[in-house]
Amino acid sequence: MKALRPPDRSSATHAAALAISAVIMLVPAYSLPVMHLGIAGQVASDTTILSGILQLWRDGLGGLAAIVFTASFLVPLLKLAGLGCLLVAARHRPGSHARLLTRIYGAVNFIGRWSMLDVFLVAFLSGAVRFGKLASVEPRPGILAFGAVVVLTMLATHRFDPRILWTEAPSAGSGPDDARAVQAAVPRPSAFLSPSS
Amino acid sequence: MNPEDSHLQCPLCGQSHRAPFLEPGQRALCVRCGATLAERGRLGPDAALVFALTGLVLALPSLLLPFVTLTKVGNERTVLLSGGVEGLWMSGFGLLASLVLFCGILAPLGLLTLLVAVLWAETRANPVEWHETLRHWAHGVERWAMPEVQILGVMVAFFKLGTVVNLSVGPGLWCYGAASLFTLLAWRRFSLQPRGQQARATPAPASA
Ligand SMILES: [Zn+2]
Repeated sequence: MKALRPPDRSSATHAAALAISAVIMLVPAYSLPVMHLGIAGQVASDTTILSGILQLWRDGLGGLAAIVFTASFLVPLLKLAGLGCLLVAARHRPGSHARLLTRIYGAVNFIGRWSMLDVFLVAFLSGAVRFGKLASVEPRPGILAFGAVVVLTMLATHRFDPRILWTEAPSAGSGPDDARAVQAAVPRPSAFLSPSS
Repeated sequence: MNPEDSHLQCPLCGQSHRAPFLEPGQRALCVRCGATLAERGRLGPDAALVFALTGLVLALPSLLLPFVTLTKVGNERTVLLSGGVEGLWMSGFGLLASLVLFCGILAPLGLLTLLVAVLWAETRANPVEWHETLRHWAHGVERWAMPEVQILGVMVAFFKLGTVVNLSVGPGLWCYGAASLFTLLAWRRFSLQPRGQQARATPAPASA
């Protein structure tokens, strides 16, 4: 099991390579059109991630625009920025702020999947809106680049082993025999047992 | 008993702990980084299996029943859950179609199947030895199972198309939504359920 292996130092190098690839793919993902929308009686238009968000805003769907902006723009950028912090910290100042950085890792891991939103959106539209000249949606290469950003960022997060953020060894060995040595740590103080929300 | 069962190792920071006895509604937190290591739900131990089974039962109609029906000046189109995959595939985006197929359909279905298999195996007195392997696979598949993200994507599409095309939700989408909810409920209980010594009905004796 993963948890019983020693911390994987090489994980940071692999995660960095994946994260850098994701940053490079951000350029086509945000600049190329992600879909083509043709409606009878209107000028056919190519939409990018950001112009799609702007369109929702102009249509008076501010709340929805905020959701898509968060999932498609903020989440990928915050995720990559968070990963960047973790990678720099693990390399240059291991051990400092380990608790905070571990929390950041948890958050990055949790929010990652939501940036698939735009990929599912374009997939659904291009499968459903097929009315020939009346109305049709087709995917465009930007969405492929955007999908690559999401997958590369998720792979980078999974590859990164957060245990390398901690310098001192855990207060007990990793073997099951040592488990009793830390018995005082969990069961007794009520601080470590909290009602679930 | 497997000695591993009586202790908890934090997946985030590697700290090991003796597993505490948990009352219903209590969580065990890592002393070092604060991550939640285990949680005993207020429902019984079989709740995860019931949720996973319900999700799996709902998965079949979500694949086969109409997902969404669209109308545009008299033309009607009904699409299934797989419609998005087909749309990308027919437009020449095979790679992206495979990603959507995996994250939206195959991984969620695989996760539910694995959950049912593992949780059922663990209800037996002597769990078969491959249940640890299946448990490991379930954790691998879960990262890529994103039914709730697909639902949000479809909801955004509804608003986006509001004026262009008339849309109505089909039973397939309702089943998919319900299956996705039951998957989340089952996963939370599965991934944090107290195991081994922790799972026993009585508190561990005050230690020596
Ligand atoms: Zn921890």
